[in-house]
Amino acid sequence: MGVPAFFRWLSRKYPSIIVHCVEEKGRECNGVRIPVDTTKANPNEVEFDNLYLDMNGIIHPCTHPEDKPAPKNEDEMMVAIFEYIDRLFNIVRPRRVLYMAIDGVAPRAKMNQQRSRRFRASKEGMELTEEKTRMREEVIQRGRCGTEFMDNLARCLRYYVADRLSNDPGWRNITVFLSDASVPGEGEHKIMDYIRRQRAQPNHDPNTHHCLCGADADLIMLGLATHEPNFTIIREEFKPNKPRPCALCGQMGHEIKECQGVAREKRGQHDEFADAMPVSEQEFIFIRLCVLREYLARELTMASLPFPFDFERSIDDWVFMCFFVGNDFLPHLPSLEIREGAIDRLVRIYKDVVHKTGGYLTENGFVNLARVEMIMQAVGVAEDNIFKKRREDDSFKRRMKEKRQRMKREQQGPAYLTGGQFAPHALGRGLQPDAVENARHQAYGMRMQSNRVCPQNSQTHLSPSDDGNSRGVKRKADSDDEPEPEDNVRLWEDGWKQRYYKTKFDVDVSDEGFKQKVVQSYVEGLCWVLRYYYQGCASWKWYFPFHYAPFASDFQDIQGMFSDFERGTKPFKPLEQLMGVFPAASGNFLPETWRNLMMSPDSSIIDFYPDDFAIDLNGKKYAWQGVALLPFVDERRLRAALADVYPDLTSEEVRRNSLGSDLVFVGKSHPLSDFIQELYRAQCHEVTPADVPAELCHGIQGILSLDDDPILPDKTVSSPIPMLRDIGQNSAIGVKFKDPQFAEGFVFKAVLLPGAKLPTNVLKPEDWDRRENQPWRPQLGFNPNRQQAHLDQSGFRALGHSLRNQHGGQYSNAPPPNNYQQQGNYRSPRTGHHQAFQRKRDTHTYTHTHTHSTVTSWGLGPKCYAKQASALLPKVTSTYPWQNTPAIS
Amino acid sequence: MSVSDVNDFIRQNRAVADQVEAFRGHWESDKHWVPRREFILRNMNDFEGELHMDQLLSLSMVWANNVFLGCRYSTELLDKVKQMAEGIEVEDAPVFKTRDEIVKQQQGR
Repeated sequence: MGVPAFFRWLSRKYPSIIVHCVEEKGRECNGVRIPVDTTKANPNEVEFDNLYLDMNGIIHPCTHPEDKPAPKNEDEMMVAIFEYIDRLFNIVRPRRVLYMAIDGVAPRAKMNQQRSRRFRASKEGMELTEEKTRMREEVIQRGRCGTEFMDNLARCLRYYVADRLSNDPGWRNITVFLSDASVPGEGEHKIMDYIRRQRAQPNHDPNTHHCLCGADADLIMLGLATHEPNFTIIREEFKPNKPRPCALCGQMGHEIKECQGVAREKRGQHDEFADAMPVSEQEFIFIRLCVLREYLARELTMASLPFPFDFERSIDDWVFMCFFVGNDFLPHLPSLEIREGAIDRLVRIYKDVVHKTGGYLTENGFVNLARVEMIMQAVGVAEDNIFKKRREDDSFKRRMKEKRQRMKREQQGPAYLTGGQFAPHALGRGLQPDAVENARHQAYGMRMQSNRVCPQNSQTHLSPSDDGNSRGVKRKADSDDEPEPEDNVRLWEDGWKQRYYKTKFDVDVSDEGFKQKVVQSYVEGLCWVLRYYYQGCASWKWYFPFHYAPFASDFQDIQGMFSDFERGTKPFKPLEQLMGVFPAASGNFLPETWRNLMMSPDSSIIDFYPDDFAIDLNGKKYAWQGVALLPFVDERRLRAALADVYPDLTSEEVRRNSLGSDLVFVGKSHPLSDFIQELYRAQCHEVTPADVPAELCHGIQGILSLDDDPILPDKTVSSPIPMLRDIGQNSAIGVKFKDPQFAEGFVFKAVLLPGAKLPTNVLKPEDWDRRENQPWRPQLGFNPNRQQAHLDQSGFRALGHSLRNQHGGQYSNAPPPNNYQQQGNYRSPRTGHHQAFQRKRDTHTYTHTHTHSTVTSWGLGPKCYAKQASALLPKVTSTYPWQNTPAIS
Repeated sequence: MSVSDVNDFIRQNRAVADQVEAFRGHWESDKHWVPRREFILRNMNDFEGELHMDQLLSLSMVWANNVFLGCRYSTELLDKVKQMAEGIEVEDAPVFKTRDEIVKQQQGR
C-alpha cells in the first residue's frame, strides 16, 4: 500500500495481531552445516498449508540487507534470494503448496506510481558520490524491471525448485507454483487470483491455512478480502531506532544527510573485521488476520440496524474505507491522513450514518455510490476543522522541536570546561598566557551565568502556549538546519479550496465542470481499486489522470458518475511497460532504435521523457516527499511508436517480451508426479490441456499443459549460477499451469465458504472481569495450550538432590498458599509428546501425561494441583505423520 | 494569428477542428487545452500524414508540459518548440521548482 504508516497504526491499535516467529537454526558440527529438518513439526506450534511469496518483497531485502553486506553482483543476489526463501520455508513449513509470484506487467493504474519512482530513483542514483555504489545501484535498478534480470531470476528459481524438490525432504510432497515476470499482473494480485479461483471451485478446502509473505501493508487488506478463516502474513520485523548504515556510503554512525563520503576506518589489524557488523539478525513476525477479525468484530458491530447484520460485509466496508486513506493507484484525499486517525473517523461516521445509508457500502467488491456519497459528505463537513487542527498539531510539534534544539545549544560544552581567561591554552608555540586578572570576579560571573541559563529553561517549560504571542521575537539561529516547508495552499486558512484548485490544478474554483471531471475520475478509481482486490483487474487501461485528489466535500451526485469499465482490455507487453515507466537515462540496455525513441527530438514520444520535472513539495520538506509532476503517457502514441521498432528486437528479446504461463512443479513422491509424466509421455494434444484430478492435489484445481523446455526426472538441470552445481539426479517434474477459468461476468463471492471453521478466539473476552475471578492469561503465539515455562525431569532431579531430606517434613502435606497456585507456572513436565495445534481452548491448561510423585518434595505438587489433569488429553486426529512422533526438545 | 483568427479557422473547418479536439487530454482544463490546440493548428501544415501527426502532438505536449507542468527537456528541443509556439500568449502561467533545483537548494544550506 502506498501508506507506510498504515502498518504502524494498525499494529499499535491492534497489538495482539502480531506474533514473533520462532526460527529453528541449523547446527554446525566440525565446520559442516547441518540443515534444519523441516519435516519436523513447526516450532511455532501451528501448521501451515500454503506459503505464498511475493518475490518482489524478497528481492528488495536481499539486495539491501540491513544486517549484512550487500551482494556485489547478480549471482550473489540469486544466492541471497535462495537463502532467504530457505529461511522462510524453515519458519513457515508449508505442507501443501509453495507459490512464488514475480511481478509481471502491472495495470496502467499502477504505472504512474512506478514511473514516478523510477524517474526519481534514476536521478538519485546519479547523485551518489562513490562510483562503486553508483554502479551497484544501477545494477539493482536495472534489475528491478529489466526483462533480462527477471528472465534470469525465473531461470534461477526453476533451478532452485528442482534442487529442493529433489533433495530436501521437507519439500517432498509440496506442490510448487511459479508465476514469473512473463505472466502479467502484480505478484500479490497473482496470488490473490489464485486463491480467489481456488475458492470458487467445489473441491477447495475451506480451512486451508494460508501464509503470505510480504512487507506491503495492503497484503493485510488482501488477506481480509479473501474471507478465508485461516490467513496469516509473515514479514520482516521492523525495529525502529536500530542503527542503520548510511544509504550513500554504507557505513554506520550517520545518516545520508550528514554523509561526507569519507573512507571507512580499518577494523582489525588487517581489516579482517570489515564485514562483521555487530547487528542482530533480521527477525520475522506473523500477523494473524483471525485476531484482526476479532478486533474488527468488536469495532464494527452495530446494534439495531434496519437491515440484517453480516460481519463479512462490514469487513469489506472497512477494507474499502482503508483505501480512502491511501492506496497505490490514487492520491489520497487531503483531509484523510492516517496519522490523524482518519480510519477511526471514517468508522465512526460509518456507524453513525448507517441508518441513513440503509445498507452496506460494498458488495463483493462492487461499490454502492449513493451510500459512499453520504460518508464523503460527512467527512466534507469536518474538513475545515481537520485542516485547522492539523495546523495546530504541526506548529505545536515544531515548537517543541525548536525548544529542544535550543536547549541543546544553550548547554555548550560540559560544565567543567572553563572559559574566558581560564580557558585552556596549548603549551609551546611561543605563546605566553597572560597573568590572571580579577580571578574572583570572573569565577563569580561564571557561577551566575549557569544560574541564568536554568531559569530561562524553566520559563519556557511553563508557558508553551505563550510561544505563539512571542512570535514577534526573532529567533534567528533556530531554523537554520531545517528547510521551512513552503506551502502556497495553507489549508488552515479560509479560502483553502480556491487556493488548492488554483495551485494544484491551475483552475478556478468556480469551474464546476472541471471539478466534476476530477471527482468522476476519483470515483472510477475507488471502484477500480475495490474491484481489483475482490474480483481482479477490471481494466488494464484505466488510470487516474490527475496528480491530486479532490476534496471530500466535492463528492456530490456521484451515483450516476460511473457504471462499468471498458471490457476486453489487455495488459501492456513487458517492453511496452518498460518504455512507459523508465526515464531516458535508464535506456542504455535497450536496442538502439528503442533508445532513440527516448532521446531523439524527432521521436514521436519524446514528451514522455523530460530531463527534469517539477516537484510539488505540498508542504513537505524534502524533494523525495513531494509530488512528482510527470506527464501522463499516451498509450495510443506509445503503441504506435513501438510498432515501428519491433522488428529491431533480437529473437531472445522477442521471447522475453511475449506472454508466458504459470508453472507447477512436484517431486517424484507427489501423487501428481505420475499423472504429469503420463502427459509428457503421451505427447499428443488431445490429452492436454488436462484438468488436475481433484484427489491428487488436496483439492487444488487447474489446467495443465506441456512445457516446451520442461524440467523432467533424470534430465540434468544445468545451473545458471557459476558457484552452484548442476543437478545430475533431478527427480522433479514441471508443467504449465492455468488457474481454473470462469465465464465472463462471473462474480467471486466475498463470503465464508460452507464448512469453514473459524479459529478459536484469542482476545480477552469483554465480560471476563465480570465472570471470572482470576487474572486473564493472554495467549502468546498460535497455541492456546502453549506449554509454559516448566522444569524438566533433570531439573527435578537436581532439586531433589538438594532437598533430599524433606520427605515427610513438618509442612510437606500442606500445599503452598492459593495465590501460588494461581500463577499456574507449576506444571509437571511432559514426556515430549508433541501436540498439534488444537482448536479447543481450556481455561486450566494442564497437559501432563503422567503423574510424577517420587522425585522431590514437590512431587506432591502435581497430584494436589492437577485438579483436571486426568481429564485432559484430547484425541487429536491429524493428517500429518509428524504429529505422532515425539519432538526433539 | 490571434485568438480570433484561430476561432475563425475552427468555425470554418469543422472537420479538422473535430479531429483536433480528439487530441485533448482528459486532464486538460480549458486553460491548458486552448493554447495547445492553437499550437497544433498553427503547425499542422508542416506535419502531414498520421505518423507526422504524432510527432506534432509530441512537440505540442513538450511545449505544454514545459509551460504548464514545469518539465524540462533538452535545450535543442525546447528551442524548437518555443519557435513553433511563437505568438501564442499564455496568461498567468504557473511557476514551478524542478527537482534538481530543490535538491541543489537543500544541499546549499
